Amino acid sequence: MKSLVRLRVNGIAREDAVPDNLLLLDYLRETLYLTGTKQGCDGGECGACTVLVDGKPRLSCLTLTAAVAGREVETIESLARNGRLSRLQQAFHEKLGAQCGYCTPGMIMAAEGLLRKNASPSVAEIRAALAGNLCRCTGYVKIVESVQAACAPPNGVTRT
Amino acid sequence: MEPLPDFQLLKPRSVAEAVTARAASAHARFLAGGTDLLANLRSGLIEVDTLIDLGAIPELHRLGAHADGIRIGAGVTLEELAAHPQVARDYPALAQAAAGVAGPTHRAVATVGGNLCLDTRCRFYNQSEWWRAGNQHCLKLAGDTCRVALKADRCYAAFSGDLAPALMVHGAIAEIAGAQGRRELPLGELYTDEGRAYLNLAPHELLVALRLPAAGGLRSGYEKIRIRAAIDFPLTGVAVALRRDGERVGELCVAATGTESRPLRFAGLEVLQGMTRDAALVTLDKLIRKQLGMMETHLVSAGYRRRATLVVAKRLVQRLFAA
Amino acid sequence: MNPFKHKGAGQRIPLVDGIEKVTGRARYTADLFAPDAYVGRIFRSPYAHGDILRLDVSEARALPGVIAIITGEACDQPYGVLPIAQNEFPLARGKVRYIGEPVAAVAAIDDATAREALKRIRLEVRELPAYFEPEAARAAGAVLLHDNRAGNLEREVHHEFGDVAAGFAAADLVREETYRCAEVVHAQMEPHAAMAAYDAERDHLTMHSVTQVPYYVHLTLARCLGMDAARIRVIKPFVGGGFGARVEVLNFEMVCGLLARAARGTVRMTLSREENFLTHRGRPQSHTRVKIGMRRDGVITACAMEMTQRGGAYGGYGIVTILYSGALLSGIYAIPAVKYDGYRVYTNTPPCGAMRGHGTVNARHAFESLLDTMAKELGLDPIEVRRRNLLRAPTETINGLKVMSYGLPQCLDAVEGASGWRDRIGRLPKGRGLGIGCSHFVSGSAKPIHFTGEPHATIILKLDFDAAITILTGAADIGQGSSTILTQAVIEVLGVDYARIRVIANDSAITPKDNGSYSSRVTFMVGNAAVQAAENLKKILVEAAARRLQAAPESINCMGEIYCVHGDSNRSASFNDVVAEALKGTGTITAKGTFTCPVEFQGGKHKGGAVGSTMGFSYTATVAEVSVDEELGTVKVEKVWSAMDCGRAINPLSVEGQVQGSVWMGMGQSLSEETRYEDGRHIDASLLEYHVPTIVESPDVEVHIVESIDPNGPFGAKEASEGALASMPAAVVAAVENAIGVRFTELPLTPERVLKVLADRKRREARRRRAEPAYEEGAA
Repeated sequence: MKSLVRLRVNGIAREDAVPDNLLLLDYLRETLYLTGTKQGCDGGECGACTVLVDGKPRLSCLTLTAAVAGREVETIESLARNGRLSRLQQAFHEKLGAQCGYCTPGMIMAAEGLLRKNASPSVAEIRAALAGNLCRCTGYVKIVESVQAACAPPNGVTRT
Repeated sequence: MEPLPDFQLLKPRSVAEAVTARAASAHARFLAGGTDLLANLRSGLIEVDTLIDLGAIPELHRLGAHADGIRIGAGVTLEELAAHPQVARDYPALAQAAAGVAGPTHRAVATVGGNLCLDTRCRFYNQSEWWRAGNQHCLKLAGDTCRVALKADRCYAAFSGDLAPALMVHGAIAEIAGAQGRRELPLGELYTDEGRAYLNLAPHELLVALRLPAAGGLRSGYEKIRIRAAIDFPLTGVAVALRRDGERVGELCVAATGTESRPLRFAGLEVLQGMTRDAALVTLDKLIRKQLGMMETHLVSAGYRRRATLVVAKRLVQRLFAA
Repeated sequence: MNPFKHKGAGQRIPLVDGIEKVTGRARYTADLFAPDAYVGRIFRSPYAHGDILRLDVSEARALPGVIAIITGEACDQPYGVLPIAQNEFPLARGKVRYIGEPVAAVAAIDDATAREALKRIRLEVRELPAYFEPEAARAAGAVLLHDNRAGNLEREVHHEFGDVAAGFAAADLVREETYRCAEVVHAQMEPHAAMAAYDAERDHLTMHSVTQVPYYVHLTLARCLGMDAARIRVIKPFVGGGFGARVEVLNFEMVCGLLARAARGTVRMTLSREENFLTHRGRPQSHTRVKIGMRRDGVITACAMEMTQRGGAYGGYGIVTILYSGALLSGIYAIPAVKYDGYRVYTNTPPCGAMRGHGTVNARHAFESLLDTMAKELGLDPIEVRRRNLLRAPTETINGLKVMSYGLPQCLDAVEGASGWRDRIGRLPKGRGLGIGCSHFVSGSAKPIHFTGEPHATIILKLDFDAAITILTGAADIGQGSSTILTQAVIEVLGVDYARIRVIANDSAITPKDNGSYSSRVTFMVGNAAVQAAENLKKILVEAAARRLQAAPESINCMGEIYCVHGDSNRSASFNDVVAEALKGTGTITAKGTFTCPVEFQGGKHKGGAVGSTMGFSYTATVAEVSVDEELGTVKVEKVWSAMDCGRAINPLSVEGQVQGSVWMGMGQSLSEETRYEDGRHIDASLLEYHVPTIVESPDVEVHIVESIDPNGPFGAKEASEGALASMPAAVVAAVENAIGVRFTELPLTPERVLKVLADRKRREARRRRAEPAYEEGAA
């Protein structure tokens, strides 16, 4: 079964005939070639595929494309503006929040979802928001530091 | 990554429409958050030709005061539930249970109904199709032998939803809609201790909402044990609700998940009424021991999960007494 | 005074490929655009051990949309990373030896067709007795997995250095204990993937893969496909972690190449997470019996170790792993006599391999644990007992390893201070504890696996009309940041701006050969090659500047972006002008640098003596603080202080990241990670059941960098990516003992194991109390 699905992806209106059983992850990667969103497990166990749907983090490997009809989907490719890194991207880059980079798009999108509802989260809040995103390189220390750096006010005071 | 099987996706606008659609096909399934169902479909655990997306049914998403208690639509997400002020104030066990499920991204879409109807789990069942075929399948799916208890004629797969025990200690009533109309029953009666047919629901029936009476003087809490502090299903999860009568027990309810094929509300706890805390703990320990029927369904032994259940129950009672 | 000194080395710069990673632009193997690619899938054995009687693929072949099907007949060339132990085929031939072993493979027009085809493959075997534990595999009369390996022993090692008997005789205290470590696996976040494109007209094959060792993939493709290596091109795109999972050629890579040729087109394979676990190559389960002799003052007089490793069904790196475990008993403390007996056993489980801290982690855990136990018995502080046994560099160990720089004393000081050890040890509340562990690791194996006579590392710098410098390297950046380190090395020598430098890595058609990213060799070896290449280029540029400025080369000051005449700053030329001058008459400039470990560093003369040899050892001391819940058996690591001697931190930011990742991975092995088999069937082959720690229970890791400035490392640098891991398990176990008074000897410390040990101890104590009531009363 296929149906015509209208949605916005990274600000662009899409209208595609998609099979009812098409996962959002596969729609992004295989139909739109937005390969920044990664697959790391066999379903819902690692968070690498996290994207934003209507501004909130979602696991695209457990989301049907047809179920997000009419919604706004944002992927890692959308964060940079005018070719410049977003604050979170900049922080993950400069603070070594990304090593191999494979969990990074999901990690950044989960953090982006957090910062949109909480501009200055505590360390505990950062850990809670990223609890479903596995990383195998960093031990998470520099991921926490990256998120903190991204929301630090210019005077550098951060909550702990 | 295993792909999803082919199916058609329906989006009914009302409960009646959803129930009718479900009745129309033997292989139709309700889809709520999808965090359990879609993963299970990808593992080939469920045969399906139709998914009925419940996301567009307004009735299922209502959450708010009802009579002197609260009514929780089955489509309310765990994130919403955990953040709801009345839930957090009057039914802390429920808020704690909801806040501890899987990871935050799961909780953002996973629903109350989905968690209550969560498929039972077993180390021989939650495996890939290749794995299960190589292991000659099991009683829960496509096989004739239970791998947990070889001579058993029933399936021991364990129920692992976190919300059920928390709702049960608060006396939740389940509202169910079916082709023949609506009915309601105490939440505990929604379940049977059989890993395959663990829900007392007819194929066409849909869990619509849960009603909780006023908390009264009940204080409650929920705690679970798992290897990691996120993502994992509970090895065991315990909810306790306590009404103190001075230094003595007024009323004490304890329920657990992860222990057998249904969430278990421990029976016979009326005898604790009037006991001091420490006396109640001793008797409670005995009562729980007698009723726990854990099997080797997890990668962590039944012995450990049993022990942990007792410890967590004891601590919760202590904590609630101190509160 | 060099005006641009430390523009490169010592800088906390972000990864040179970091922007691609944070924007999603980085293309990993599964991301490569290939709409015309067929889908490749593998049919795997459901049997643990058996003779193949019949393999019928006819029904699958008849399925419309199936392009090619291959079986063991497609390749009769065994392969394996060690030339002396090649006993694996891309697809099983004659026998299957573990559940999950590839038996056949399909290329089809799409995934659904490929999966349907797999369902139509029929495999019949005559089942053989299968062995999942070393004891069973070694038992008399056990059926052999490989006909030429009696007793199912892949390798026995018996080494003795120094007078061990005399050493134990001289000891005041001799203790012996057995430690068990469960099998663990890398679980890198990027699942395995490969894409092979076969050009039937030219008989050329282009392979993209997730490998850490593109050169070995190249060699093995040539071997298994029977192709001239010149017809093969191997490209490594972005790789999402490795940790050793990809330091040998993996079966799916060969299968992908064979399928592409059979399909006469492009085949893409992406493995499920479950298949990643089955491909395995993780750290083997080990049983380690260790015996230490110690004088009353804590000085070690002798050590004996017996190590048994469950190696899985094929050779892989097994021989090296079992040798490493023994060899690196030396090189960290001064031990006058060491005896080592190692047994690497074939079993019907997925093959083990190299994992971060290759071969050393479980042996180090055992040694450090017993060291602690003995220190306690002698009333010595755990840090102090380690101080009593320090080496003095430079030195050579009894098994022929050279230690040229040695920062372990400073590491101990650093973590002792940072953790508040002296004030806090023994004064923490019950349930809270501190523990220490130390470790070391090689900066590259000094003797390459494939001896060809070539240098161990080669770097080419290309400089052209655009005055840009391109670093051409075969070193595989898998996220550890090797391309960044090479950039910093070149900049440190040439002083140019970062914007002038690009790195092109890992395309066999373009970049020089490199042995690969394993044994922490890249910074040391390829870094040295990069330094030499940059120096060669600098010489060319200085000569060009001299011509341009009409001065003697000796009088030219290279200021990075400007060259001038010494003492006459008015006579200067921009970098672009110098390059223009240099290109006159010659055109594009390539400068090469190479590095070879001198033979005197390549280990002892005994059999297996090359394993463990290196030009520089890293050293780590780690203090872990834990809290233990005795009722639930749960252990939480609250904080970690880790000090690492990496020689010179070329990029301190990177060193911190590597140390944090290492000790955290050590924490996973200590507390929650283990692979388990039920009748040989991998029962936790998912990221749900294999418990990689989440961010919630992961502690802060405070890193202290100790710079011992190694005489041979690039700018004094040594490795930083592996060594710290092995310090962690012993630190955690010691901290748990410090917290609750019980020493655990089995990893991981899952709640279940902890409670079982505590319950056993209670029972034993109760029995003892019953047996000795008089003593109890008397003592009271």
